[in-house]
Amino acid sequence: MSATKSVIISCAGIGSRLGLATTKALINIEGKSLIRWQLELFEDVEDVRIVVGFQANDVIEEVRKYRDDAIFVYNHRYFETKTGASYYLGARDGNELAIEYDGDLLVHPDDMKILLEQEGEWIAYADKMSDDAVYVKTNQVGDVLAFSREQGDYEWTGPCCIKKDKLKYSSGHVFNQLEPYLPMKGIKIRACDIDTYDDYQRALDFIKGW
Amino acid sequence: MTKFIFDLDGTVTKQETLPLISKHFKIQEEIDNLTKETIQGNIPFVESFIRRVYILGKLPIDEVSELLEKVELYQKVAKFISQNSENCIIATGNLECWVDKLASKIGCCCYCSDGLIKDNKVIKLTRILRKENLVERYKSEGEKVIFIGDGNNDVEAMRIADIAIASGLTHMPAKGVLSTADYLVFNEEALCRQLNQLL
Repeated sequence: MSATKSVIISCAGIGSRLGLATTKALINIEGKSLIRWQLELFEDVEDVRIVVGFQANDVIEEVRKYRDDAIFVYNHRYFETKTGASYYLGARDGNELAIEYDGDLLVHPDDMKILLEQEGEWIAYADKMSDDAVYVKTNQVGDVLAFSREQGDYEWTGPCCIKKDKLKYSSGHVFNQLEPYLPMKGIKIRACDIDTYDDYQRALDFIKGW
Repeated sequence: MTKFIFDLDGTVTKQETLPLISKHFKIQEEIDNLTKETIQGNIPFVESFIRRVYILGKLPIDEVSELLEKVELYQKVAKFISQNSENCIIATGNLECWVDKLASKIGCCCYCSDGLIKDNKVIKLTRILRKENLVERYKSEGEKVIFIGDGNNDVEAMRIADIAIASGLTHMPAKGVLSTADYLVFNEEALCRQLNQLL
C-alpha cells in the first residue's frame, strides 16, 4: 500500500445502544475482540491510528497486544462529539489520504483488500441491513450522489477515504464531512455495522459466512 | 516553522537519569523512595526534585557528567533529532552541569535547571526549568510547538503546546500527561513516524 495513506479507526464512543456495558472495540466476536478483527484487516498498513476516548486504557491495552506501533489519538471530548470529530483528529497529522474506519464496523477481508488498493478518494457502502441507517443515493456507475436519513439505494457503512486537508473539526458525523465533496467514487462492499444488539447477532452470522 | 521540544529522561534516553546516578553511587534506597512517592503523586515534582538534588549534589559533578554521557539513547529518536537539530530542543529539569556532555552528544539546543557549583559539587539549586515557559517563548515567536514527554513535570508544557505527544517508550506516561496528550505512542517507529509527519 502507498505510504501516503493512513488508516484511522474510531474507537472513542460509548456504544450505548449496544447494551453490552463495554466499548464496542472490546466486544467478543467468535473469541476475538472486535478491534482485533479490525486490526487484522490492516496488517500491511504502516500508519494505523486508533482514536480513543471512552475506556481508552482498555482499548489501548487490547490494541497493543497486536499493534505496538499504532499511534493512539485522543478525542478527549468524545462525550460531546461524534465520529466526524474523531475522523478529523485521527487524520490531521497523518498521511495525505485518510481512510476512516468506524470502530463498530466489520468489512469482509477480501473487500477491505480491494479498498486498500484503491487510488485516490472513495466511499464504501453495503446492502441495506440495519434498522436505523443512513443511506446513500448512487448513479448508474455507483458514484455516491447524496446521503439520506430517509431513503437510498444502499446503506452507508464506511469506510471512506479522503484527503486529510478537506476535513474540519466538527460536531457531526463522518458522512457530514464528506457531503461537501459529493459526488464521489463509490464502491459496494460486504459490511456489517454493530450499533444494536440485533446488529451484534447479525455480525456473528456475517463472520460465519466468510 | 515547527519546533520539537523533547523531555530527556525516558523520552530520548532509555533510562531515567537520577535513578542511574543514585545506583552508580550506591544511594539507591534514599532516591528510589523519593522517586516512587513522586510517581505516585504523594510528593509534588518540584519538592521531590529539590530534595533529590540536595542528596545528589554532594556527588562529584565531573563523575556524574561522565556517567550520564554514557546513558543509552533511543537511537531512532536521537537520529531524528540529529537530522533536524535546528528545530529540536531538549527540555530537562536536570542540572546543566550533569547533562552537559550528554546534551552535546545528542547535538541540539538543551535547556536545563541551574545550580551553584563549588569544588566540583552542587551547593544549591538556583533555577528550576519550567518547561511551559519554554513552550510559551517559542509560541510567542510564532513557532508551532510539538512537545514530547512522559512525566508530571511535562504536563503544563504539553497543555499549552500546539501538539502534545505522550511517550510510552520507557514507562506508561503520567496520568496528567495522558489527560492532555493529543497522541500516545509506545515504540520508536510510531514516535518517529508521527514526528516525520509533523515536519
